Amino acid sequence: MKRLPFIIILVVLAAAVGGAWYLKRSATPSVPAQALASASPRANAPTSSDPGAEPPHTLGPANAPAKLEEFGDFECPPCGLLHPTLQTMEREFGDRLRITFREFPLVPTHQHALAAATAAEAAGLQGKFWEMHDMLYENQKQWHEAFDVRPIFEDYAKRIGLDIERYKQDLTSQIVEQRITQDGLRAHSLGVKGTPTVFLNGREIPFESLLPADKLREVIKTELNAPHP
Amino acid sequence: MPLTHDPGIMKPIQPAISSAKEKAPRAARAPTLLYAAAALLSILGLADAIYLTIQHVTGQSVRCTIISGCSEVLSSSYATIGSIPLALVGAAAYFCVFSLATLAAFGYRSAGQLMILAVAPMFAVTLWLIYLQAFVIGHFCQFCLFSAAITTLLTVISFIAWRR
Repeated sequence: MKRLPFIIILVVLAAAVGGAWYLKRSATPSVPAQALASASPRANAPTSSDPGAEPPHTLGPANAPAKLEEFGDFECPPCGLLHPTLQTMEREFGDRLRITFREFPLVPTHQHALAAATAAEAAGLQGKFWEMHDMLYENQKQWHEAFDVRPIFEDYAKRIGLDIERYKQDLTSQIVEQRITQDGLRAHSLGVKGTPTVFLNGREIPFESLLPADKLREVIKTELNAPHP
Repeated sequence: MPLTHDPGIMKPIQPAISSAKEKAPRAARAPTLLYAAAALLSILGLADAIYLTIQHVTGQSVRCTIISGCSEVLSSSYATIGSIPLALVGAAAYFCVFSLATLAAFGYRSAGQLMILAVAPMFAVTLWLIYLQAFVIGHFCQFCLFSAAITTLLTVISFIAWRR
């Protein structure tokens, strides 16, 4: 009887450590860096899920050995942090890397996320998605706190050389709305719950392997060096 | 002046003593039950803090999610002490309170007194964290609020148990 409280304490300690270990394992969807490339594709890999908006917004050749797909929200601060890292990866890996951006505005968490996604897609209809994408991320802090983002986004549209009248019309167009919805459907089919969520050749990169740039560089290098069937 | 009848005076002493004896075990049991309740609450707090720690360690808490508030709170500079997640400190504190409450429930009196010393700073930190969420960060995280509720209950319970 004297030992019982100590036994209970030890049991709870063991359960706490075990629970933490289990949570850590389940919170890390895929194995990091070294093992990422050799891991078998997940059941919910992008190849077997909703295709998303067509054509997708991509950078890099279609036959690049490393295909990176980001689900992002322009108002999400970590997405803003990841943006320069992805630009660095694009420069460093060149033709060996293809980057795809998918819309995943977190509504209602971020009040302007949908407006930002709409602005980017409307710019995309004039072939300037990436210019607006960069503008939105690079100035995220400026418009994040704004009450009305429309004049700010219009100013960005002017600065990247869009036809403003067409841009304004496209903001309410069905194509823009459908593209965002289709990307959202793809996100849900892949089990995406937050942003940024990044897949590399169909496997989700754990968030802790995305930043800083050194970590992501290592993940991509490992993927490129891995033997592919 | 006529003498009035006071039934209390007429009561036999013996039954009064035996009644006190009957009440004694019930009174002694009360702190035990309170400490047992505190131990159970600490386990809930511990589970919550472990969940938040893992979210922090794996970077999940830093991501933006559909649930508003948590990512803003947990990615703020207040979520860490140096490089140590605040949630990990919370987990250690809850485990400490759980151990003390368990020992107190098994009759270790000094454990109950130590529990007050452990819970008091936890409650102070809880108040500070609620202030930060409300007035500095501007967002509330439901996991942090759950922890705040647990700590508040633990404070009340340990105080009542100590008074008895």
